[in-house]
Amino acid sequence: MHQTSRLLVVALILFALVPIGGCSRGRVASNTVIVSGSTTILPIAEQSAEEFMKANPDTQVLVSGLGSSAGIEAVSAGTANIGTSSRDLKPEEGKLGLVDTPIAYDGIAVIVSPENPVNGLNKEQLQKIFSGEITNWSEVGGENRPIELVNRDEASGTREAFKKIVMGDLGFDPNAAVLPGTGQVRDVVARAAGAIGYISAGFVAPRFTDVTVKALKVDGVAPTEENIASSAYPIGRKLHFLTKGEPTGLTKKYVDYVLSDAVQQGVVVDAGFIPVAEGGK
Amino acid sequence: MSDNTQDSPRGTLQLVSRSTYVKEWLLKSLFFACAFMFVLAVALIFFFVGWKAWPIVTQYGLGKFVGGTTWSVSKNSFGILPLLVGSFVVTLGALLLGTPLAVGTAVFLSEVASPKVRAIVRPAVELLAGVPSVVYGFFGIILLRAIMAKLTGTLGFGAVTSWIVLAIMIVPTIAALSEDALRSIPEGIREASYAMGATQWQTIYKVVVPAAKIGIIDAIILGMGRAIGETMAVLMVVGNAPVFPKSVFAPLSTMTTQIVMDMPYAVGLHRTALFAMAAMLFIFSMLLVASVRLLSRLRD
Repeated sequence: MHQTSRLLVVALILFALVPIGGCSRGRVASNTVIVSGSTTILPIAEQSAEEFMKANPDTQVLVSGLGSSAGIEAVSAGTANIGTSSRDLKPEEGKLGLVDTPIAYDGIAVIVSPENPVNGLNKEQLQKIFSGEITNWSEVGGENRPIELVNRDEASGTREAFKKIVMGDLGFDPNAAVLPGTGQVRDVVARAAGAIGYISAGFVAPRFTDVTVKALKVDGVAPTEENIASSAYPIGRKLHFLTKGEPTGLTKKYVDYVLSDAVQQGVVVDAGFIPVAEGGK
Repeated sequence: MSDNTQDSPRGTLQLVSRSTYVKEWLLKSLFFACAFMFVLAVALIFFFVGWKAWPIVTQYGLGKFVGGTTWSVSKNSFGILPLLVGSFVVTLGALLLGTPLAVGTAVFLSEVASPKVRAIVRPAVELLAGVPSVVYGFFGIILLRAIMAKLTGTLGFGAVTSWIVLAIMIVPTIAALSEDALRSIPEGIREASYAMGATQWQTIYKVVVPAAKIGIIDAIILGMGRAIGETMAVLMVVGNAPVFPKSVFAPLSTMTTQIVMDMPYAVGLHRTALFAMAAMLFIFSMLLVASVRLLSRLRD
């Protein structure tokens, strides 16, 4: 039930953070790492946290996904040890004293329903579709069917990255549905014939679901792992771990673990992302 | 607090024993403290929200806030008119859909149903009232939205979907309270109507329902309170687009859902705007409670 992750996470934070942050901050903090932010990075952070806790009993890594902006906000406010972000820091966030550790590369796939005959779009068409200028699939070589836009919320790093790479100065059409999680976008687009949305390429075909979506070629290039790693696919970005100052103690241990070959070649690849050493060539 | 009368409870207790009197006094103080804490909590919440919301008046302007038509964080524009309209549309539609159903249920339960049928239907309605709203939201997003998407060829988010989910949610509230109102009408009034030769149906719609009118309106207002404040279930089915919806099948957003969507990352003026929206919701619910009180005074 991925689409509920954000709601669950709100509840989890309320239940988990209150006793930890409120009652016994000093004592528990030494063996607890709180990781908060991007829903895109959630699978990497969660699975590596599980492995990490198995290897290091007595430690706790709490992972939540509320969106990249929420993660940046949390780590700079000190309510999280690591903020995860699927977008670069904005200029005004550069002053927060955050140290950036890239952990993987990722492409943003543009997805439609499998029923949709359109297989590819160019960047300009995408721009016009998401700004609300093109409103019918027939204008881009599809059936005569209204385009139903699915957007992410403004806390989303995927939205921010998509905006920066595809939209340029044009704004998103405000009439688009705004959904709070990657899984929800995927689920809604899969079941609506006229829908179009964008999600992390790692989420196009995850193993835990049987609903399918179709990833479009952008400028004629499919969002495959090779194409993203070689930067041939035009919509790519880095995934970040952000810490307030250089990571220390258990936080550093966890960050190093995520950067280790075991996680990079294991969890990161399995989740459909590109290991940090191979990307951006 | 006069203890010169012999039959006042306090006087009597004092005669019984000193320790009983102290115990009674302690309990009385405890209950007073409970009630007082409640009042204090409401007052504190109100002042906190008001205090956090105030900069919207000084830094942004109340007119631009309430009358503005663009809610966009990236443009630093916080006009809540589309959200106000959204809340209004969602609530009104749910009431129009739910009220006839709820009043019908209440009339059936109080006037028509045999005790046996009543013993089954009433607990079912009450059970419906106790279902957590997120469950309705789940039902809405998984089942209802998918059906709406198939039927209309849209995403399935929008006013109509939220009306159906909210109507189901508020029917138990309105039905249970309306039934209480109907049952509080003395049996003699019905008997008088039958004695005049009226049929059961004539008695219901000409005598009993008009007599219970104020109680039913009360119930509807409380249902409205629930609808306007409902967040989780609505969040999952409206589609969260902060615009005037182009149709009843197009995504829209309400004040409550926008607060939940934006709260995790809101800072500065944006956060202030969310608090100001919360303050508006607070004022709405105060108005609703006030109107309920006014109505019950009318009834008395």
